[in-house]
Amino acid sequence: MSIKKRTETTENWSSRSIGTGWQHRFFYFLIRLGGRHIAYPFLYPVVLYYLIFRPDQRRKSRYYLDRRFPNRRGFAALKDSYRMIMGLSQSLVDRALVGICGPRILHTEFPKGEQLFNLAATGKGLIILTTHVGCWQAAMIYLSKLERPVHMLMQQDEGDIDRHYFEHSGEKNPFHIIDPTGFLGGTLEMVAALKQGDVVCIMGDRLKGAQENSLAVDFLGSPVKFPLAGWKLAAVTGAPLAILFPLKTGPDHYSIDLAEVINVNPKDARPLQRLHPYLSRYVKSLENLCAKEPYQFFNFYDMWNQDEKI
Amino acid sequence: MTNTDLKEQLKKIIVEELNLEEIEPGEIKDDDPLFGDEGLGLDSLDAVELVVLIQKHFSVEIKDMEEGREALASIDSLADFINTRQAD
Repeated sequence: MSIKKRTETTENWSSRSIGTGWQHRFFYFLIRLGGRHIAYPFLYPVVLYYLIFRPDQRRKSRYYLDRRFPNRRGFAALKDSYRMIMGLSQSLVDRALVGICGPRILHTEFPKGEQLFNLAATGKGLIILTTHVGCWQAAMIYLSKLERPVHMLMQQDEGDIDRHYFEHSGEKNPFHIIDPTGFLGGTLEMVAALKQGDVVCIMGDRLKGAQENSLAVDFLGSPVKFPLAGWKLAAVTGAPLAILFPLKTGPDHYSIDLAEVINVNPKDARPLQRLHPYLSRYVKSLENLCAKEPYQFFNFYDMWNQDEKI
Repeated sequence: MTNTDLKEQLKKIIVEELNLEEIEPGEIKDDDPLFGDEGLGLDSLDAVELVVLIQKHFSVEIKDMEEGREALASIDSLADFINTRQAD
């Protein structure tokens, strides 16, 4: 007997890197040898290889770019793909750079940092909604200043691109990782963390798991299903939700944009449709970001057709 | 509160506060799985609310996966968990 109707689950993206182990090790070697200045130039042949000889990978950039730049064709479209793939590649180098050399290797500004620190200091718990934008490792130095334990909901597949950071540092991971593939998607640990006033970081832009735990909101002109876990947690625990975008602003410069802080009314916890207005505010922020920084939104799958496998 | 009363209250909380449709509290068997494809079919977002509801009504916290996996298996196990914690 199953009382609640369940819908199919979606596994339409992967956090696995498309690079092989030796390719990653080569870049780590370059970073150790001379940092970004040595590693970045080697990205040009790699990116050109994927752009020209791996049309399957190039196509993955088009899902988003065709929505963002619907009128681009030919060389202009190819150039967009190049800029997006190069942006991701530089972000991957930057992640490894932070892991190997420490977070101070990047110059990161956080204009509204005080607001975030004050939110964390209230002890009501804080949800940081992150997105596949820029390089979240650039925000590490500020997350360490929150003076509250930080938990990250993060799947660490074999070959996971975010896992690389922790492989290098050789230091104790400063954050507690919550595994979304664990029992009930790690929700029990997240609730417990927020109830004791901790900080929980959760991705807001990719749906993994049951599609019923999502709502569709128009993003770049068509509906996309976004996950609701962060919003539900905010409604049930009373923790404020902060939308953060760590954006690359120069070769070794990042700026963390605190796009919005949203308080979800506990009365809107159920039915799920009542979370729609809050989710729409996040999607609006994401659209604004894509308008301003079109090549820093790193989603290489068809989020408009979430049944498609990659 | 007897164990039977506790289980009835739990069923009522689950049906009413999680807004389950097409089921009455009395239709839930004590050993029905709460989560997964069998039984009630609750999901991870329901778990978020259920954990907070348990804390609100019974002042009992479910803090991690190990505790949760055991406690949230069924009405029986949830009642046992609450009884044990309240007795501590």
